[in-house]
Amino acid sequence: MAQKVDLVKKRGNRLGFWFFRVFLKISGFSGAYGLLYVVCLYYLILDRTAVSASMAYMKRRFKTHNIFQRIFGIYRLFISQGKNLIDRYYVLSGQGEFDIELRGYDRLYALLNHTQKGVILLTAHVGNWQVTMAGLERLGKTVYLLMRPEDNIAVKDVLQVDSKKEKIRIISPENYLSGVIEAMNAINQGDIVSIMGDRGYGYDTEKVFFLGGEANFPYGAFRIAAAMQCPVVVLLSAKVSAKSYFVDVSHIIEPRYSSKDKKQEEIRGWVQEFARILENYVARYPFQWFVFSDIWEENN
Amino acid sequence: MQKSKSEELIKIKRDLKERLVRELSLEDIKPIDIKDDEILFGEGLGLDSLDAVEIVVLLQRNYSLEVKDIEKGREIFYSIDTLANYIYENTKSNTPGP
Repeated sequence: MAQKVDLVKKRGNRLGFWFFRVFLKISGFSGAYGLLYVVCLYYLILDRTAVSASMAYMKRRFKTHNIFQRIFGIYRLFISQGKNLIDRYYVLSGQGEFDIELRGYDRLYALLNHTQKGVILLTAHVGNWQVTMAGLERLGKTVYLLMRPEDNIAVKDVLQVDSKKEKIRIISPENYLSGVIEAMNAINQGDIVSIMGDRGYGYDTEKVFFLGGEANFPYGAFRIAAAMQCPVVVLLSAKVSAKSYFVDVSHIIEPRYSSKDKKQEEIRGWVQEFARILENYVARYPFQWFVFSDIWEENN
Repeated sequence: MQKSKSEELIKIKRDLKERLVRELSLEDIKPIDIKDDEILFGEGLGLDSLDAVEIVVLLQRNYSLEVKDIEKGREIFYSIDTLANYIYENTKSNTPGP
């Protein structure tokens, strides 16, 4: 299982990024994107782990497709993810910007300024989160990402996450008590904590309905939010054209226990709500959800 | 008559055990079953990081205490004894809130 995860993490090493940077500088998007088609074909043929992990999603999202159509769908998924990374570097290197449509920004801004407490951003492996972070800069808050910093060092380097100059910091779930105390301190001081809501990474999950089957989604974000009485803002983004993205923060869930005896049942309800929102998203943007894992698998 | 430190600590520990059982919904465990020196996380009581959320909130709401230093947190959250000592040393009245 550890080896399976490592292969997926390594897609995108430092040398690979260097090639894309060079192509982006020399030939712009057309050159960099063009290289992607070749590189992604390589991974489609040789990265059996990622292909088989993606197949679980393809089977459920495209129930009527045959095996070849699904394999082509996986190819599109790889290309979409590659474009995502190129776009992120494009922004960071100062070569340009994307048009970003912010949906629900005013409500989130009001929420953050109404109380001293911060919020939890519950996100998923969708869209382009660097563009997303650029869109959220206006909020003026530090965003703490609850993630393992070593998951992909090349990505971390490229994205300049956790640099002291940036308002994006990392809380590692491998810190004491999974970084929970740091996350709570950040929320208490009015900042934002971003947590992935679509992969458990071995942490506690609940089974909820997603794309026609029962899938495991982590529930830690809701447990923290309910205890701290802070809102959970669902954050999703998608590329909608060559030079534009949308960032959606319009779905806000306010987890509050109504009964101590039904806590876990209520938590499951909130997780199901998130799964429903994500399902609507993948219905419209099926090739922008980058979770290369079978979340329907019993032991995931 | 002012209570002695040991009397105060006994009271704090009793309150902590009752609150933990109640807030964490620890089924099949009675407060009296929890030993003072029992390790809270991992071994012993077997709490996990999400249970820590409830304990942090319990400290905030009932004792107006926060834990900002993570390394200090390791010491504080080790057992009922260490948690109670932290509460005793950092509260003025040593009386839990409602």
